Amino acid sequence: MAMVTRTWNRLTIPGRVVLALLLLGALLTVGLIALIILGPAILGILGANLPVVRFVVAATVVLLMTIPTAFLIIYMEMKIIALMNLRIGPDRVGPFGSLLSVVHGLKVLMKEDFTPTGADSTVFTLAPVVTYLGSVMTLLVIPFAPGLFGQDMNIGLLYFFAMGGLAVVGLLMAGWASFNKYSLLGGLRAAAQIISYEVPLLLSVVGLLILAGTMSLNQLVLNQAGWFTDWYIWQQPLGFAVFFIAATAEANRTPFDLTEADSEIVAGFATEYSGMRFGFFFFAEYVNVFIVSALTVTLFFGGWNAPFPFPDINLAADPASLGLGLLILVMVVPVVGTLVLAAPFYLARSSMPAWQALVIGFVLFNIVAVAAVLGWAFVSLEWVAGLLWFMMKTYGFVFLFVWMRGTLPRVRIDQLMGFAWKWLLPASLLNLFVTAAAVIVIREMGA
Amino acid sequence: MTATAGRQSADDPRVTLDEQVGVFEPVPPYPPRTEREAEFYTLGDGEMFINMGPQHPSTHGVLRVVLKLDGEKVVDLDPVLGYLHRGVEKLCENADYHQTISQVDPLEYVSSLFNEWSPVMAYEKLLDVEVPRRAEYIRVLSGELNRIASHALFMGWMALDLGGLTPILWSFIERDEIVEMLAALTGQRMLFNYFRIGGVNGDLNHDFMSRLGDWMTRAAEQIDASLGLLNSNEIFVRRMRDLGTIDSQTALRMCMTGPNLRATGLPFDIRRAHPYSIYPELDFDIPTRNEGDCLARYLLRIDEIKQSLRIIDQCLHRMPDGPIIAKLPRLLRPRPGRAYAAVEGPRGQYSVYAISDGTDQPFRLRIHDPSFIHLQSVGLLMPGHLIADTMAVMASLDPIMGGVDK
Repeated sequence: MAMVTRTWNRLTIPGRVVLALLLLGALLTVGLIALIILGPAILGILGANLPVVRFVVAATVVLLMTIPTAFLIIYMEMKIIALMNLRIGPDRVGPFGSLLSVVHGLKVLMKEDFTPTGADSTVFTLAPVVTYLGSVMTLLVIPFAPGLFGQDMNIGLLYFFAMGGLAVVGLLMAGWASFNKYSLLGGLRAAAQIISYEVPLLLSVVGLLILAGTMSLNQLVLNQAGWFTDWYIWQQPLGFAVFFIAATAEANRTPFDLTEADSEIVAGFATEYSGMRFGFFFFAEYVNVFIVSALTVTLFFGGWNAPFPFPDINLAADPASLGLGLLILVMVVPVVGTLVLAAPFYLARSSMPAWQALVIGFVLFNIVAVAAVLGWAFVSLEWVAGLLWFMMKTYGFVFLFVWMRGTLPRVRIDQLMGFAWKWLLPASLLNLFVTAAAVIVIREMGA
Repeated sequence: MTATAGRQSADDPRVTLDEQVGVFEPVPPYPPRTEREAEFYTLGDGEMFINMGPQHPSTHGVLRVVLKLDGEKVVDLDPVLGYLHRGVEKLCENADYHQTISQVDPLEYVSSLFNEWSPVMAYEKLLDVEVPRRAEYIRVLSGELNRIASHALFMGWMALDLGGLTPILWSFIERDEIVEMLAALTGQRMLFNYFRIGGVNGDLNHDFMSRLGDWMTRAAEQIDASLGLLNSNEIFVRRMRDLGTIDSQTALRMCMTGPNLRATGLPFDIRRAHPYSIYPELDFDIPTRNEGDCLARYLLRIDEIKQSLRIIDQCLHRMPDGPIIAKLPRLLRPRPGRAYAAVEGPRGQYSVYAISDGTDQPFRLRIHDPSFIHLQSVGLLMPGHLIADTMAVMASLDPIMGGVDK
């Protein structure tokens, strides 16, 4: 061991890089050989356990997906609130400051991860993980597009609320373990608020479930296919109102962001957190915004359905059938396209050298090509179109959340609880009874 | 804070303060000195202390409030002052009369002109100086502008303490326009150092007048527009109504003045009650409200902004020609004596009691600051409300810690 260390220390920095690369190559080679030998056996095992494989892949993808989502929503919030405040907002890192949230992400990674003396360090460390995973795992059942979902459970909605309810355990753990009274107040507020708002949140959806007759989110979306008038929002307006308000409270967003009310209890449960552990809370908040918007869209706004029956265009062509034509397409079209797009610049502006015109033509060709491929994918691949519609609607609701944050002051804790129990709960019960009665009456009249 | 051996923490009985655990104890390290202290620092069943400040996001500076909580409810509270104490009164005793004006400037730092106005008036009484009429008009004009700037900032703070992010930035736009205007007049954005004994430092200039004229054409609409986000907001109104209600008799007993007193229904305003400067010649109303709660204090300040705009308008129309400062020797030695002068600042009665012993330095300069007086009624208003209301009540009284700690 000592010899290895000494040899390593004697290497120059390029030498270390080369050695590391060599080792990596050797490892990859060994791995590849192993894979070739063991491949069939592994594939057999995977094939036999397809649901498990699907779950692992879906969970990984969803976990990875949350990070750019959080970055995007954080950037949106910074920029939109800045514009509402008549400020400029982020404008330094990346185009229009769009990479600032990435820099924030790197910043929390690099900051000191501090555990206060007196804190219960195990619980203190686990709390952000519980909160983050609780939020992220709900994404597993959200149908993003036709066929694009982690798991189509027949109890999808129940699973969603169960996992979403886990997040509050993390907040309570953080509040309790931090050894700080502001954290404690924040954690207790979180517990009281989220448990109170779970009740109207769940009850507001029951009416919709009576209408739909299923709890599978995928089936709920399929039920809403067709024109936008088929969306459940028109049949359940009261249910939607209650659901949206309760969901805002569930996601701890303004005007119900009492758990981290900065003007009252500093940062609530996150007061003692720093570094990436704070980052997890921060990310979880923005992932929550996305999740709540996604669920609202799925339940009440037709999910990935277009607002009108989208014309069924099929431009799918089999590349293999083109034969030599494919080669010509790949070889000739870029050159001709670049030349054609460069020509107007070269001809119209005599001062422009040919190479500059060609560069412009090439860039324009790339833009056109990307747009064409995307357009082709949009009209011929069902899931691309579905994903785009879904994201458009979801980010519409994300904008609504950001808008509320920029506009509204915060409610008080007693008003918050009073509103949940005195207004939202009766309203959701009323919605449930009216829906049930209407369903029975319609069925009797039909029969 | 010196940790005595084996002293138990109020946070956690297992922790003694010899172990450096980073606990900032709300309980002072000495035995209670008064009955009130002994009573306050004894915890009842299920109660806890919480230190709010001095580095809390919304205590308007460096105020520390020890709250005794029962859950979310505030049982009692104890403001701890002195984190911004600069000894201004003592500094003034060692500066000559002209220098004191710049010493008192940073007291209530959002309305500096009023800090200068009252000592200057007191010195003029000591010296028997006649202030030129143009100087008086300029004083009133710039003072009322400063009042609007201060009130505009109050609106934003109020909203920020209730969790609204946007109004503070909108009101800063208003304040910034005024501050730029006053910077053109006085040369400074914040601590103007503009009033002089016997007049003001500089005459109205083109930059100031053009900015003022530009702003006056749209001021009223602009203020209404920027407050629309709050005034018609159900959450805001519901949180402010019937919160921190104080009746006029209690307000008088707590020595409240200014908007906080007028919000209880008493039309007491130094500008009318004990007229000074050119206010008797001007036509303006004293707005009052009867509710005495936070909402009334907030709305009253909007009414005051409108009255200030009226005053500015009249000043501009009646501005006389003439000198802007009385002729006085460089070194001032007033006759021995005492003088008292009070002005109506944006927060209430801002007054000064100056004693001269015949030298070129004041023997004593006692500054009566409305922020300090108003802060004492927080203890009366808060018990029984929630933590979130502490912020709202404190913001509605509008204390400036620079003035509280002097």
